[in-house]
Amino acid sequence: MKVKLDKLQKKWGDVVGADDISLEIDDGEFVAFLGPSGCGKTTTLLMVAGIYKPTAGTIDFDGRIVNEVPPRDRHIGMVFQSYALYPHMSVYGNISYPLRIQKINKTEMQERVQRVADMMGIGDLLDRKPGQLSGGQQQRVSLGRALVKEPELLLFDEPLSNLDARLRLTMRGELKRLQKDMGITSIYVTHDQVEAMTMADRIAVMSAGILQAFDKPDDLYDRPKTLFVAGFVGNPPMNFMDVEVTRDNGVFRARSDAVDLVVPADRGEPAAAHGGTVILGLRPEDIAVATAGSAGDGRTASGEALAVEPLGREDLVVVQVGTAELRLLVDTAVGVRVGDNVDLEFNTEKVQFFDPDTEQSLLWS
Amino acid sequence: MTQDLEEAPPPAQPEALSVPRRSRYSSMRSTLTAYGFMAPVMVLVLGFFIIPGLILATLSFTSLADSNFQEAWEFIGFDNFTRLFGDAFFPKIFRNTLFYTFTTLALFNLGFALVLALVTTHIPRRSGFFFRLVWLLPRLTPSVVYIMMWQRIGAPSPFGIYNQIGPQFLGATGGNLIFGSATGAWIFVILVNGFVGASFGMIIFTSALESIPEDLITAAKVDGASTWQIIKDHKLPLIKWPLLFIATYQTLSLLTSFEFILLLTEGGPGLFTTEVWALTAYKRALKSYFGNSQWGFGASWAVVLVIVSLLLAIVYVKLFKFNELIEEPKIENL
Amino acid sequence: MTTVTEAPSKIDPRNWFSTETREKNGRRFAYLFLVVSITPILIGYSWLLIATFSVRTRGLLPVNAAGDIGGFTLNNWKFLDDVEIWKAMLNSFLIAVAMVIGVGIVSTAAGYALSRMSFVGRKAFLSMTLVLHAFKAEMLLIAIFFVLRWLGTKPLIGDLVGFNTVGGVALVMIALEIPLGVWLMKGFFDNLTWDMERAALIDGASRFRVWWQIMLPQIRPGIAALSLFTFIVGWNAYLVPFTFTIGTKFSNMPVFLNQQISDTAPVNWNLVAAIGMFQMIPLMIFFIFTQELLLNIYAGGSKGGN
Repeated sequence: MKVKLDKLQKKWGDVVGADDISLEIDDGEFVAFLGPSGCGKTTTLLMVAGIYKPTAGTIDFDGRIVNEVPPRDRHIGMVFQSYALYPHMSVYGNISYPLRIQKINKTEMQERVQRVADMMGIGDLLDRKPGQLSGGQQQRVSLGRALVKEPELLLFDEPLSNLDARLRLTMRGELKRLQKDMGITSIYVTHDQVEAMTMADRIAVMSAGILQAFDKPDDLYDRPKTLFVAGFVGNPPMNFMDVEVTRDNGVFRARSDAVDLVVPADRGEPAAAHGGTVILGLRPEDIAVATAGSAGDGRTASGEALAVEPLGREDLVVVQVGTAELRLLVDTAVGVRVGDNVDLEFNTEKVQFFDPDTEQSLLWS
Repeated sequence: MTQDLEEAPPPAQPEALSVPRRSRYSSMRSTLTAYGFMAPVMVLVLGFFIIPGLILATLSFTSLADSNFQEAWEFIGFDNFTRLFGDAFFPKIFRNTLFYTFTTLALFNLGFALVLALVTTHIPRRSGFFFRLVWLLPRLTPSVVYIMMWQRIGAPSPFGIYNQIGPQFLGATGGNLIFGSATGAWIFVILVNGFVGASFGMIIFTSALESIPEDLITAAKVDGASTWQIIKDHKLPLIKWPLLFIATYQTLSLLTSFEFILLLTEGGPGLFTTEVWALTAYKRALKSYFGNSQWGFGASWAVVLVIVSLLLAIVYVKLFKFNELIEEPKIENL
Repeated sequence: MTTVTEAPSKIDPRNWFSTETREKNGRRFAYLFLVVSITPILIGYSWLLIATFSVRTRGLLPVNAAGDIGGFTLNNWKFLDDVEIWKAMLNSFLIAVAMVIGVGIVSTAAGYALSRMSFVGRKAFLSMTLVLHAFKAEMLLIAIFFVLRWLGTKPLIGDLVGFNTVGGVALVMIALEIPLGVWLMKGFFDNLTWDMERAALIDGASRFRVWWQIMLPQIRPGIAALSLFTFIVGWNAYLVPFTFTIGTKFSNMPVFLNQQISDTAPVNWNLVAAIGMFQMIPLMIFFIFTQELLLNIYAGGSKGGN
């Protein structure tokens, strides 16, 4: 099923939950709604589900506007963060509930429930009550209940947040595989950008009720359209510095009180054209500790290491460069210690530039 | 719940101006469903509160009584009310009502209820439980039986229990404690109502006190607060809401109830010693003194009481902002 | 060598005002206070029990006809042979059960709507329940008589719920308990999560089905407590049945009991005590088995206001 949101808005009095949300989802696509708490992603999801009524805009399933259609007629399945299982019914009762409402006959119902339960790996737990199951098992029951009615759209509201890290990892892969096999259009709400990046075909990034960007993961990562997206996607987050970009003898240079970097022309030109101060962005993995051989060819700076966080295979080092604190990932073997003076090397091919007033990217639109 | 962080809290009702026709239809449908749920209670409220209220108001302007029951109602304007306010015993009944309501409230329904809650939560849980259960017994006893027990307590020698085993205070040596004097009668009226009334507040205050986090009290103790200081500075402020609720509910409750007084003293001994307003309304209308129940006149007494308690209730609700207890639903449409 | 200091003894004057002693004294005082406070209650019930099994009583002492101590007898229980008491008991039971069902359905339906649905007039009705709380129908008894009489003239239901019928009494009693019932049920519904309800709606349930199959089972303890409380009120009801029935054919037990107490003839208190005790026995049995429920009924309220 194709889903189209057109200028969707939800307001309660003066409080805006979501505003001007417009996007199109293709049949069978896995889309993530990503953003921090309170950004409006669950609000939007609940509007798609029919639990909330939009105050403006339309929701469109396969060309049909469904604003007025109640949830039960929308052919959707939903998986909640809290699983929302019915504690007084058995697992079988929970999963078969949608079918019982449709008055499906008993044999067919049993068959369908068993099939879905087996697919979820809980085929032998049908007699238990939810209270007797582990978190992961409850999650599967919840998913089974959503799938048993063969919906055309699957909605997920942070379903993995209540699971422990290990389980989350496994479930992520399983969910993605399942969705691909079944080909059901899915919308997945999460605040965890790793989840979104690994699972989604496209990600809608939201902040404060507004849609910031709607792109493929790689596009969001390498070609972020707004400052917010650049800073939100990617962990550890992108580094930002205020610089001025000018053209010097055919070479574009980004300058601040502490750095003087040469940047590639295709990126430097729009920045210079903007004039004045711009915001430069560079990811931690694009900054390295300078090795002996690299000469100071406009790609270096130095500063004092303020903090070193060992991450296992790498160290996260925070270096004071001028007024900015830059984060970079360094191989543990280099052995940076707090207080060391560190020479840095910048991979300016990957540099980003943003307009400080509109917070839009100067490179991509 | 994490979802509460996620969604902006809906503070006001969604607006419904300039909404397209189809959307109005579906919201009408969901409103109808809601009214379906509310229908039984609305019918009952209409039939047993609102309509009787209107009938009462109408009655109070008539001269309806046992004697002219079969005839058409005769409207006599404000005559009943004039008679009411001019009644010789009106001031006494009025004073009695105020005295009874606020004394019982302060001493028992609110006062003792609070004391019981505080004390029974101070001792080990099982013991506190036991004492609260005993205090609940009067509420479980049929009123007739309950009054009978009290009557035996106050009966004259050699039958009365108090006269048999209790110290002789009231000068009355072995006589009927209830009907022997006005003081005695009032003491019993207040005790009888209080022992039942206190248990309601006791239960509510107890659950409110028990939901105060233990850490708070521990912190106060570490700060050096004495038991009394903990109660005064911490426990009481934290149960503000239940306190206000009980004060409201019980005031109105005492103002309008009269069953125990009816059974115990019928307003006596003598003329209107322990008569309260609600009792007068009832008796004038439904009990036949000197051969004639006066429905219209009784209704006028009831009307005045109803208006007063209605106004009081509205004042309380506004004053204590009970509207803040209302939360917007998190499912819309249908 | 280490010196062993003796623990201060309990009667050491230095410890008279120690926290430990104070706390102990505090507890002792608390117990004393509570025991004194329940004395009248205990005395009353003791008398009831004693009176039931004796010819007469002098204060708390059982005596026989001549006034000597003793006089144990089972004569008082002979009233059980009289068919009237059983009729009255049946009526008490019918009223109580009708109330449990009536109050239960009406309160849970209205409580659900007020707690979980948005509709025009919601706020107004919520405030009204508070106001109705104290708006005792006992004040409106005079006027309710007319309503019942009118109902009695309606076809079909007239014989069931008119004036001087068990049904009529039950209906009035149900109405009396509704404000509190709605308030309590709303409180219980307020505490439930929204996700379960949303999941059910998405699963395809209608709002009614959600209420009946999903939400009601979640507040079973609340419903149980309300039912118990309502049953007790119905069983013990005196004023309303008394006002709206004539004669013993339709009266319930408290009314029957009061009819034994006349102002003119000498009253056989021991017989009355026996009838009273008889009336309380079912309640006592309920009470013992459901203590926890009764004490928790008001705890399920909303935001501390109840």
